[in-house]
Amino acid sequence: MSSSAAVETEAEAPDLVCELDSVQGIVDALTSVRWKRHQDAVVELSEHGIVIIVEETGCLQAKVYLQREAHGRPRFGASLGLFVDCLNTFSVPGRSNILELQYPGPDMQLLLRSVDSPDACIYAEIRTRIPETISWDYNFEPAGSTPLSFTVKSAALKEAIDDLEWPGSSIQIKLQPTPPSVIFKGEGHGDLQIDFNYYANTDLLIAFSCDRQISHRFINFHLACHATTTLPSASTDFANHRYKYKFLRATTSNIPSSVIRDNRGSKLTIGRGGMLKVQHLVSVAKPSIPHPHVDSAGYQQPSRIAYIEFFVKPEVEDESVNDS
Amino acid sequence: MKFKAFLTDNGINLLEKRILPALDKMGKICHLYFTRDHAFFLHNLLNSDGVQSIAQFKKESLFTDYRISSQNDDKIAFSIDLSLLHRALRSILAIYAESRDFNSNGLQIKLVKKLPPHSTQATPFLTFEAKGYKSAVVQDVPISKPLSRADVQELQLALEVSQEMPATLVKAPDLNLLQNFVDRMKHVGDVMGVTVSKYGDLHLQISTTLITLGAEFRKLMVLGERANGVDGDGNLSAQTRIERAVQRQDAMTVQASVKHFFKCLQYSSAKPDCAFYGIAPQGACLIVIFQFFIPGTRQTDKSISLHCRLPVLDPGSN
Repeated sequence: MSSSAAVETEAEAPDLVCELDSVQGIVDALTSVRWKRHQDAVVELSEHGIVIIVEETGCLQAKVYLQREAHGRPRFGASLGLFVDCLNTFSVPGRSNILELQYPGPDMQLLLRSVDSPDACIYAEIRTRIPETISWDYNFEPAGSTPLSFTVKSAALKEAIDDLEWPGSSIQIKLQPTPPSVIFKGEGHGDLQIDFNYYANTDLLIAFSCDRQISHRFINFHLACHATTTLPSASTDFANHRYKYKFLRATTSNIPSSVIRDNRGSKLTIGRGGMLKVQHLVSVAKPSIPHPHVDSAGYQQPSRIAYIEFFVKPEVEDESVNDS
Repeated sequence: MKFKAFLTDNGINLLEKRILPALDKMGKICHLYFTRDHAFFLHNLLNSDGVQSIAQFKKESLFTDYRISSQNDDKIAFSIDLSLLHRALRSILAIYAESRDFNSNGLQIKLVKKLPPHSTQATPFLTFEAKGYKSAVVQDVPISKPLSRADVQELQLALEVSQEMPATLVKAPDLNLLQNFVDRMKHVGDVMGVTVSKYGDLHLQISTTLITLGAEFRKLMVLGERANGVDGDGNLSAQTRIERAVQRQDAMTVQASVKHFFKCLQYSSAKPDCAFYGIAPQGACLIVIFQFFIPGTRQTDKSISLHCRLPVLDPGSN
């Protein structure tokens, strides 16, 4: 194929053309990962649909998966803030908002256009740039054969993390199998401990998985940091990592209250080396019109849900560097 | 210098529920200007920066028994704090509503000079007075010294200049929708290009180095000069369509502050029945005109007029 032909083909068929019919849901999902005003994002198209990735160098990464049919594999960088503010303009209440997304435009822009009303059109062109390589690979590997995880109501998680602002600095997350519970402990200007007990509070702690063998190896190198905890003995403590408060906070603090009111759960998993994965689900379905695919159990089509994942690296402690 | 009148029930409702809260959003301080036939609330007419807002009422739409006299051709102007005026009016209404029998004429409003406590100098007030069964209530709203003859003259002149009409006006889309929209748009940039075309298009666009965000509203009602759209324009992108209309001199574009544009939209809280956008000759300013219908009809109430003039930014300044 000659180069001019290639150019022509490109002009005819952009890498990405898709329609979004629930802009507010997408705004909610992207707002959840907007932890500061000026934030760069990388947009990727993959077999997972549209993936938007933001990160804080080396410490925190978030991914939003919008399950959309998409072809091609473009990848570009854009300002998350502008993208969210811009999308938000499209989701004015009181009018339906179907939006067409297209990339690349003639000058490599991301093009957005409302397509629902012929006499009132909203459009946008967002400058894109060549994305930086993701500085640190947040490959998440399970810390053993059974996952070390728990699921908690998003509202409760957010509240707990908000409360931990008072001690601030760094937060320990501990999972212990007997009795099954999750403990958040902040030590900074003061101590604050928040316990989620599986049996006491089944409404809050929806699922819990903590296995004796795999987490055993965490014991030794963490003895030092919880010598003053109220646990009966260190041997019942199975997984224990510290995270910088501000990164932990970023995983919940920006979730819009409308999403919190959906009353879903958030899943937290601790992987190899203490990498914390926090997963949220955000409905991107139109709330007013019940979708025909939502059955009585509340199951929704995957495309009606945006998946949000945060990866938080633990604070590095001298003893915990070599845990493999 | 004397001013005395009775606010009618209609006038009270209009001011208390609709006009004063809206005007307060434009700016706390405004000029109140009375002539033989009209009362005006004027924002920023004597200084050139900022949105000029002109609210004009025929005396009958607010008052009965309207008496004014001054050595300056029966014109009186002073500046007043709108939130104080609103508060005074609200508070006196509580008493007034209970004792309508005593106040058959309405709520008295007059200009007085009083000696405030701990002061030796009399200062001017705009006073509301309502008589109750057992007591009379007086609310004094402090005002500035009345404007000098020269200042009143200047105000009158600015007012006359502000009546200049655009050649083409297009009817704004639903104001709440537009307000909501611009409220979101203002996060993206500070300067907005506003285009009004003779075909009935209103085009708003914010353009920065990183983003262009715009909205095009078409087939709006046109007042004044109009033209028929060109066949085939319908398939073009909004931006190209506007560019071509400007080239054909069927449209004009000005740059205005997004903040100003949004501020004017807050007049939707005065519940106008419709609004029109237009650009003054030579692109001197952007004009928004709010219209009120005579209650129960679709006819414009000519006794009330509310309009804003938004300063135009130098295209090079952004």
